[in-house]
Amino acid sequence: MLTNDHIDYIIKDLNYRGIVVEGIQDELIDHICSAVETEMAGGSRFIDAYHHILKSFGHTAGLRETQKQVIDSENIKPKDMLKNYFTVAIRNLRKHSFYSFINVAGLSIGLAICFVISLFVINEISYDKHFVNADRIYRVKSEIKFGGNHSNMLYCPAVMAGTLATEYAEVEAAVRFRERGSYLVKRTIDNIKEDHVIWTDKDFFKVFGIPVIAGNAETALAEPNSIAISERMAEKYFPNENALGQTLILDNEMNVKITAIYKTLPTNTHFHFDILIALEGLEEAKRPVWYSNNFQTYLLLRTAADSKKLESKFPALVVKRVMPQLAEVLGGDFTMEKFIAAGNKMEYTLQPLADIHLKSSLQGEFEPNFDIAYVYLFLAVALFILIIACINFMNLSTARSANRAKEVGIRKVMGSFRSHLMRQFLIESILLSFISILFALLIAYVLLPLFNELSGRTLVIPFQQPALYEIIILAALGVGFLAGIYPAFFLSAFKPVSVLKGHVALGMKSGFIRSALVVFQFTVSIFLVIGTMAVTQQLNYIQNKKLGFNKDQVLVIEDAYALGRNRMPFKDEIMRSGKMENATMTGFLPVSGTWRSDNPWWVEGRDPAVQENMVSIQNWRVDYDYIKTMGMNIKEGRDFSLDFPSDSSAVIINEAAIKHFNFSGEIIGSKIATFGDDGKGGPDRNKLNTLTVVGIVENFHFESLKQNVTPLMMELSKQPEGPISFRFQSQNTQEVIKLVETKWKEMAPGQPFTYYFLDQRFGSMYAAETQLGKIFGIFSVIAILIACLGLFALTAFTAEQRMKEIGIRKVLGASISSIVMLLSKELGKLVLIAFVLAAPLAWFGINWWLKEYAYKTEIGVRLYLAAGIAAFIIALTTMSFQSFKAAASDPVKSLKSE
Amino acid sequence: MHSPELLKGTLQTILLKVLKDHGKMYGYEITQRVKELSDGHILLTEGALYPSLHKLDAEGLLKTETVMMGKRVRKYYTLTPEGKSLVKERVSEFVEFIRTMGNVLQIELN
Repeated sequence: MLTNDHIDYIIKDLNYRGIVVEGIQDELIDHICSAVETEMAGGSRFIDAYHHILKSFGHTAGLRETQKQVIDSENIKPKDMLKNYFTVAIRNLRKHSFYSFINVAGLSIGLAICFVISLFVINEISYDKHFVNADRIYRVKSEIKFGGNHSNMLYCPAVMAGTLATEYAEVEAAVRFRERGSYLVKRTIDNIKEDHVIWTDKDFFKVFGIPVIAGNAETALAEPNSIAISERMAEKYFPNENALGQTLILDNEMNVKITAIYKTLPTNTHFHFDILIALEGLEEAKRPVWYSNNFQTYLLLRTAADSKKLESKFPALVVKRVMPQLAEVLGGDFTMEKFIAAGNKMEYTLQPLADIHLKSSLQGEFEPNFDIAYVYLFLAVALFILIIACINFMNLSTARSANRAKEVGIRKVMGSFRSHLMRQFLIESILLSFISILFALLIAYVLLPLFNELSGRTLVIPFQQPALYEIIILAALGVGFLAGIYPAFFLSAFKPVSVLKGHVALGMKSGFIRSALVVFQFTVSIFLVIGTMAVTQQLNYIQNKKLGFNKDQVLVIEDAYALGRNRMPFKDEIMRSGKMENATMTGFLPVSGTWRSDNPWWVEGRDPAVQENMVSIQNWRVDYDYIKTMGMNIKEGRDFSLDFPSDSSAVIINEAAIKHFNFSGEIIGSKIATFGDDGKGGPDRNKLNTLTVVGIVENFHFESLKQNVTPLMMELSKQPEGPISFRFQSQNTQEVIKLVETKWKEMAPGQPFTYYFLDQRFGSMYAAETQLGKIFGIFSVIAILIACLGLFALTAFTAEQRMKEIGIRKVLGASISSIVMLLSKELGKLVLIAFVLAAPLAWFGINWWLKEYAYKTEIGVRLYLAAGIAAFIIALTTMSFQSFKAAASDPVKSLKSE
Repeated sequence: MHSPELLKGTLQTILLKVLKDHGKMYGYEITQRVKELSDGHILLTEGALYPSLHKLDAEGLLKTETVMMGKRVRKYYTLTPEGKSLVKERVSEFVEFIRTMGNVLQIELN
């Protein structure tokens, strides 16, 4: 039999070996005792018997393994276990509701931003993917460098589509588009203005595979004066009627028959044509001219055709078709070699349909596209905001570790494994992220209309899609895991002995990683603030830059052709009211998206066959009052004047043109020339058109400030047409509009009255920048907000930790301000470091962004400093709220206890 | 000695049957009894025995009672009614298994 001493020895020894779990400890002791007794009955000494038995258990390691397996085998109901984790988690979150609130607030805002941005990005990526043959559709783009003019555009010769479709095996079908602006559409009496009108070929349906609801896709658009309309248009003009076969009147003069109704194009398409007019009816579309580019051309390649191979045949096409015609027009000793030697270029390439929305910004886009760089930028920013929110979580969890260290210690002593604790902490963070994601959905739901307005999209949360819920659950798990993994590792690693003795590194001093994370948060925030300020500054610069004309107080009346013969009387009548300073009638306006016309001219007397002599120049046809109305400045010479009958052959050129023409001698009075019109739209080599320079106008920006001012000339239009622009004096714009509208209704009954202000249109040239500025602004406010939430909580925590220290300092005579300083100093330092890191990053970012502007603002040191100081002040204010509270508290209270 | 791999699947059956035949038993007693019944061919390791016992306990097939023995505490296991009803099932299942194995391995079993 074993003595009590033996039994005590075994109990102690097993305890020492780590067998401590209740219910197992006793059992193993009894087991070993029994076994030892048996061996001792066989004649062994106690200690030999004991060690022999221990060996059969596999010594300490084996004993512990057995203990672990017993615990594991008892935990057969994971539901109970999880329930326990949840209960503890909820209690913990509720107990520290202040920190929970900060975490949930930050995370849900961050997640909401991420969510909205993801919706946006998914939408951007989905553009044009819905077409049946999306991967086989390409469009032809052209790069033409000629006569000092360099253009990247989508315009191709009219004959190109047909040639490619018939002579190249790779091409299954080709379709052309020709834009001729908006149209006035009516059924009987009242006109409605339609913007999405395009001329196109009948293969439109074949290439894009757009479903035709009524009519025959094969034969629709085959005849002149036939059109196809979208379902939306059919409902608009023929509600509850069959629109097929009906007639509409375009621009008061074209009777067209509806030959097909097609499904309205989805919003995520790079064009939204509502009315297709058969190109068959357009003379221009039949001209076999290769040097005039006016048609956007889309190709449907055959299955398995190689687009690269097709592209490689284009240079030969240029040599064979374009060059001979060019040689004929330009005359002289034109050769391809000379053309290229003069630095010229004519190159056609293919662009896949999928690249259009995100990677294309060429002349002749149907609608402004988006830039993939901004997609990446938005994604990055959204991700950073989420990380900032996650960092709050990590920092608060580890900072509060002191409070939880005891919990960890006790749990470990009670037999918790590290894995149990990690599970507990992870479940807490996942629970938190679930709560946050629900709030995030709510925030996103509220935010989305605002975002839609900013971005010009129509995004909706796809509540009916099951994938949404899967993603939400995955995201909650992912974010919870991401935010919780570091605290889980950190906290569960505490050694129970040292924790329970009170040796845990506390507060701010311990957290190098925590400091690094705070620095990261503020680096991102400050970067965003600097970025926002830079974008805003550039926008201001654009708005206030001297443009060379006066964009304010100009009212432009569109579609003046609807007045018919009443055009001039209308203009005169309104001028007679005395409310207007000047009026001009022309479509050539100094904002993009208005008329443009580009021709080669040269100084009279020089040889046009020498390519250096040719200047590709904007040729604007205006009237006598144009320069006055637009507020442009004549630098030398004079404006057009009725006093000079010879002004019908006069020209005013801009400063950029002077540089390119390279005049010899006096500029005023010089003559410039180009080929006359052969009456069929082509140039006539034997008829020269000559104009005399009477004035030089100061350079004015007629395109976006991203581009340099190019050569431009103005001559008097023989027959003024286009919109009518009025410069008005009155401050009361409503009154001015009313005056014009009344007159319009009187003189053009049944025609829609549409107008815009020149400065508005100017502003819309920078819509993308404005959008970027606003979105960046929102992002940076949110980033700062979340980072400050974290800072707020951290200061609260530090103050709480140092309560006693503060009390003692106060008793010893420290002032409130010195204590506030003490508490804010460490975190303030981190914000400073963040600024030092953010400034160069922002510098790179801003330079990258400004690179594409020919005219840009100077971003000085002051902007960086302002951003840094702003961030610092915001951070300091946030902190001082808490530190002041701590510093002002009564020392008696904090020192009284214990 | 039989290989522990072979024993793995049968451990619960052994425990249940032994407890059915002998009523109240404690851990060490079970190992000894099994050793005896198998002529020393089956030695239950403690590392396998106790997790299994605790698992059966948690599943409600066994109940326990502890008896103080001076400084030692002895824990006895007995079958619950559910445990008892399971024994027959498990044993016949095992017999069926042996028969199948006999067919598979082409051995005559008496």
